Amino acid sequence: MATRIQFENNCEVGVFSKLTNAYCLVAIGGSENFYSTFESELADVIPVVKTSIGGTRIIGRLCVGNKNGLLLPHTTTDQELQHLRNCLPDQVVVQRIDERLSALGNCISCNDHVALTHPDLDKATEELIADVLGVEVFRQTIAGNILVGSYCAFSNRGGLVHPHTSIEDLDELSTLLQVPLVAGTVNRGSEVIAAGMTVNDWTAFCGSDTTATELSVIESVFKLREGQPTAIVDDMRKSLIDSYV
Amino acid sequence: MRLEKCWFCSSTVYPGHGIQFVRNDAKVFRFCRSKCHKNFKMKRNPRKVKWTKAYRRLRGKDMTQDTTFEFERKRNRPERYDRILTEQTLKAIPLITKIRHERQKKHITERQKGGKSMSRKKDAKELEQDLQMLPKKDTVAYEATKQKVIVSQLKTEENLMEE
Repeated sequence: MATRIQFENNCEVGVFSKLTNAYCLVAIGGSENFYSTFESELADVIPVVKTSIGGTRIIGRLCVGNKNGLLLPHTTTDQELQHLRNCLPDQVVVQRIDERLSALGNCISCNDHVALTHPDLDKATEELIADVLGVEVFRQTIAGNILVGSYCAFSNRGGLVHPHTSIEDLDELSTLLQVPLVAGTVNRGSEVIAAGMTVNDWTAFCGSDTTATELSVIESVFKLREGQPTAIVDDMRKSLIDSYV
Repeated sequence: MRLEKCWFCSSTVYPGHGIQFVRNDAKVFRFCRSKCHKNFKMKRNPRKVKWTKAYRRLRGKDMTQDTTFEFERKRNRPERYDRILTEQTLKAIPLITKIRHERQKKHITERQKGGKSMSRKKDAKELEQDLQMLPKKDTVAYEATKQKVIVSQLKTEENLMEE
């Protein structure tokens, strides 16, 4: 179920937050509105952690993670590292990596099984990703862009990519990732998908500029509508009519 | 806040001191003071500059390998906060630094031990070869030990004839 929110009047939600199936990281804002929206949706299911990375608020673009682990850039301070380790559950491995491309959220895009990475990433980093996140790693580009982490967002159930991705690329990526993919936009035509929204298996958060069309596309590709009562009734209709007879 | 090491001299850079230089390949160089920064700008290799830790370690003047160095490492995978563990670590830190200092001092005294025998050998050689260069009062005792050998007249005449 997709929610529209803003971070201090900015619609780029994926920049200031990181949502996975096991935890959610949120940037420290001036007011508590951003944090409380996440909390109201997710508080009883997964831990919602307020943090900074290297003293900055752009945490969504600097770190990458899934339910198995969290990778942080070398700019993360020791105190922030310790804070994350204390707040996140023990199954999540928190690791800081030394990589020249320090904006990991822009270079790597992953779900719980597969990861797409920037083609220039170090071999050692690639091995660390496979080890910490427990994923299969593929070096790819999306619509000619090397920053795969920013131009696509995918979960275990579906994915949204840059609008100018060709159909062949889309098919190729779909077979690699084993999820249905759709080329679309977010935040009234913004091509930077992962910066404009953040998603996990059952919720998504988009910028408040996202149009109703974009929102319906997101809800259908990530299969977020299934939790709704209407969907359940439709599925159960056959069995309900049977019971009347 | 983190106490970093100076890239040039390897001393600790405390907050509020020094300069950081970030190169185009994203490598960060930290310097403790302008002396190190200026040496770096002159493209000097710290391994060739005598007062740096890199030089001293390379030449074996300072202790290189020791188990006490293993404790102070940059760790990338943190552990969950445990009060008892933290307390024990804080208690252990001054003990470890003390042991490390003791071992470093010992390394230096060990290194300087061979000096006395070497200087004696050097003095013996000097007495043997350059006896006439030394002042007379120092060599009286040495000359007393030497035995005078009488060379026969015949032999010297033959030598003169050959010349």
